[in-house]
Amino acid sequence: MPVISADLVHANSSVGQEELQRLLLCGESLLLDTPDHVLEVVGVLESYGEVLDAYSINLIYQAESQFLNPFPIFKYLDGDLSPAKIWRHLIHDRINFEYAEYCQKAMFWHGTGGLDAYLDSDAFAENCRRIIAAKRKRDPLLFALHPLSPGFLPELIRSAATIHALGQFWRVMSDLFLDLAKAERAGKVSTIPDVVAFIKDGLVAAAANPIHYGVSIEGEYLWVLPPEAGLSFLVDVAVPYVEAVFLRGMPFLGTVSFNAQAQQISPDQGQFSYGALYADPMPTMGAGIPPSLLMQDMYRHLPEALHQWYLVRTRGEGDIRVKICMSFQKSMFCVTNAAINGTMPHPLDCTDPAAQAANTAYAGAWAQRLASARNDCLGRVPGVA
Amino acid sequence: MIITSLLLIPFAGTLALLLWPGSPTPSRLRLISIAFLVIQLGLSLAMAFAFDPAQPGMQLQEHHSWLPGLGLDYAVGVDGLSLPLVLINGGLTLVSAVITRDIDKRPRIYFAMLLLISGAVNGAFLSENLLLFFLFYELELIPLWLLVSVWGGANRAYAATKFLIFTAISGMLILGAFLGLALLTGSADFSLSPVSSERLAMGGQLWLLGALLIGFGIKIPLVPLHNWLPDAHTQASTPVSVLLAGVLLKLGTYGMLRFGFQLFPEAWAKLAPALAIWAAISVLYGSLAAIAQTDMKRMVAYSSVGHMGYVLLAAAANTPLSLLGAVFQMVSHGLISALLFLLVGIVYRKTGTRDLDVLRGLLNPEKGLPLTGSLMIVAVMASAGLPGMAGFISEFLVFRGSITVFPLATLLSMVGSGLTAVYFLLLVNRAFFGRLAVTPPSGDAVADARLDVQLAPVAPRETIPALVLATGVVLIGLVPSSLSRLSEVATTALSVFTQGAS
Repeated sequence: MPVISADLVHANSSVGQEELQRLLLCGESLLLDTPDHVLEVVGVLESYGEVLDAYSINLIYQAESQFLNPFPIFKYLDGDLSPAKIWRHLIHDRINFEYAEYCQKAMFWHGTGGLDAYLDSDAFAENCRRIIAAKRKRDPLLFALHPLSPGFLPELIRSAATIHALGQFWRVMSDLFLDLAKAERAGKVSTIPDVVAFIKDGLVAAAANPIHYGVSIEGEYLWVLPPEAGLSFLVDVAVPYVEAVFLRGMPFLGTVSFNAQAQQISPDQGQFSYGALYADPMPTMGAGIPPSLLMQDMYRHLPEALHQWYLVRTRGEGDIRVKICMSFQKSMFCVTNAAINGTMPHPLDCTDPAAQAANTAYAGAWAQRLASARNDCLGRVPGVA
Repeated sequence: MIITSLLLIPFAGTLALLLWPGSPTPSRLRLISIAFLVIQLGLSLAMAFAFDPAQPGMQLQEHHSWLPGLGLDYAVGVDGLSLPLVLINGGLTLVSAVITRDIDKRPRIYFAMLLLISGAVNGAFLSENLLLFFLFYELELIPLWLLVSVWGGANRAYAATKFLIFTAISGMLILGAFLGLALLTGSADFSLSPVSSERLAMGGQLWLLGALLIGFGIKIPLVPLHNWLPDAHTQASTPVSVLLAGVLLKLGTYGMLRFGFQLFPEAWAKLAPALAIWAAISVLYGSLAAIAQTDMKRMVAYSSVGHMGYVLLAAAANTPLSLLGAVFQMVSHGLISALLFLLVGIVYRKTGTRDLDVLRGLLNPEKGLPLTGSLMIVAVMASAGLPGMAGFISEFLVFRGSITVFPLATLLSMVGSGLTAVYFLLLVNRAFFGRLAVTPPSGDAVADARLDVQLAPVAPRETIPALVLATGVVLIGLVPSSLSRLSEVATTALSVFTQGAS
């Protein structure tokens, strides 16, 4: 197996940095506006919305009802322990919640933004102390375990906090993507710039939504992420999520060998570029490629029009998950596009030179990162899908 | 009558195809040939059921005087040595016909030649008369030459001519040895009887055996007589390669055991140490040459050169176990090499290349050839002799049966077995692992990360023959007694007889 350096895996600078910066500054969508792209992006985001709905419900259930459960074997059942549900779970007639956990781990591990800062604060340590003290009263296992490894339970609580926060984030995104599909059917959205604007408006509208999380232990309600922490949707969860999952990610096991000792994987996590915008869709469904789980989930909820569109292309049903992954990458560029537009320091039409300079710097920084992403999918270079 | 019926069916099929009225479509001709081959396989199985494995000698014999003045009789029979080969011929010819699709030119002749070869090979395996064997041995030569030269690759004329020259020399040497035997013994009796050779001086025996060894050594082929095989395989179409590797090479090893080994046991015993070393050289050369190949088909062809050397080693050792191993090796190599060529054929049809410098990542689950790749891994595991598959049983029997007689040659051959894992893992690693691509690595990240790799999917009908062969490979590996039951008594008797004679 040849060793391929990290930059060779994702590097595909079909659209250059200057062009990306120009597109961002003039308010054009990164993804080329074509009817096929609209069908792909809206369709895939609709199925993604359905899947995120299930992910969100399950993550919130896990964080609230399986909190510090040492053997959470029914954590994917959302509290429904009926034989029919267990049977469907066993025959894998279900959503792959493992992918939601994979994203949560990426977010937890990269740890950027306000949420991560709060998880390392004294206030959070105090919350943990109270929760653990309450939990130890009735739980002999935790009672014995905590003094042996005092850092273990706080780390589990941090993880639970990220799980809940991601569940709250996906709740908003799920509704947003399903609303997008409804708007497209209603004729309110018909182009890629419309799609980007719709998502941007949704993000902006939810930007200040508070993020909080508490657990009930023996009838006592204890805050993990209290309202007074002041965590909000956009800057404390959405932006860290984009950073962790869209941009940084983690290298997949399986098709490519990395020599970490030769620093083919950067020792600086901040330099990671293995996220959704950089990933290669080709190995989808291969062993060790976690997004395969998401593609399978989306395949189960694919809108019929998009399904038919896939069926007449390449291998039809045979390589449909790779095609979903390619469309998903396009849709993630649209979401990133919307997030960049929504967080631009100043309106694009402002005339103040200082504001324009700030916008240029902001767009330039993003363009630099996206220049080495798999932006060949944007369709900006003729002959590239 | 069962053997005569078995021999008549493919020839009747050949005539039927050639004389079929009107202009039947290629698919109709294919179905006709498949029908005849199914009957042939059915008759082969009926013969296997009528065969008594407890009896060591020839059974179901039929004898009719044909040209007594020439010593040419129609004498046929079957024993534990020939029965497995007849069965594998029946099975693999059927596979060859089934996997033949899109024959664009002269389909009538193509399928007729396929049937003719199958009948001739059966005739050679079942002959009890030296001249009758020779007739059948030569009969398959021209059809195979046609199959390579008409339906082969771009360089088919060169490969077919090379094959023709080598095999014609092989035939001349074999005929020369048979006639020499008659001349030196003063008898025109060409029946398969070792008695006649006992009257020969050792010098005469060695000359005749030498001619047979070279003659059959070309067909097997053994190094340095192997030169025709990689070219023939490379230019032959997939069904012809399946037939060539799976069945036709066995004519060489069968002939060597039946005529070289059985007719001249004393001379064989004298030459055995040299033959064992020759076998080891053949195994090592074949394996090392395979490592150097970048064309998948040439790699499999060279692996055949290596693996057929095991049969010579087993015959040289001449123990009951090694001879049983020789039969196992002929059958398992027939199945495994046919499977390998079939899979390489699928890869070639889908990608347009067999170049290991170009192919990568074919195991890609959605856009590659995952089932073909998985079967390829099964095939290379079997070829490398992993337990649970046919290759392990045959190699273990050969090595276990030979090591006490020729320890050095056996150890060297075992190294060759290890080298099989080397070249086949290279094949699997290069062509099937990594990121899917059917273009050479360019060093340009953009070009190498292409998403527009479009390979046609492999239809189930293309995979089913390979699945059947892979099942056979695993079944023989798991239940070797099914095969050993047919041959054990015969190979033990052969070993005891020839050791006694020498």
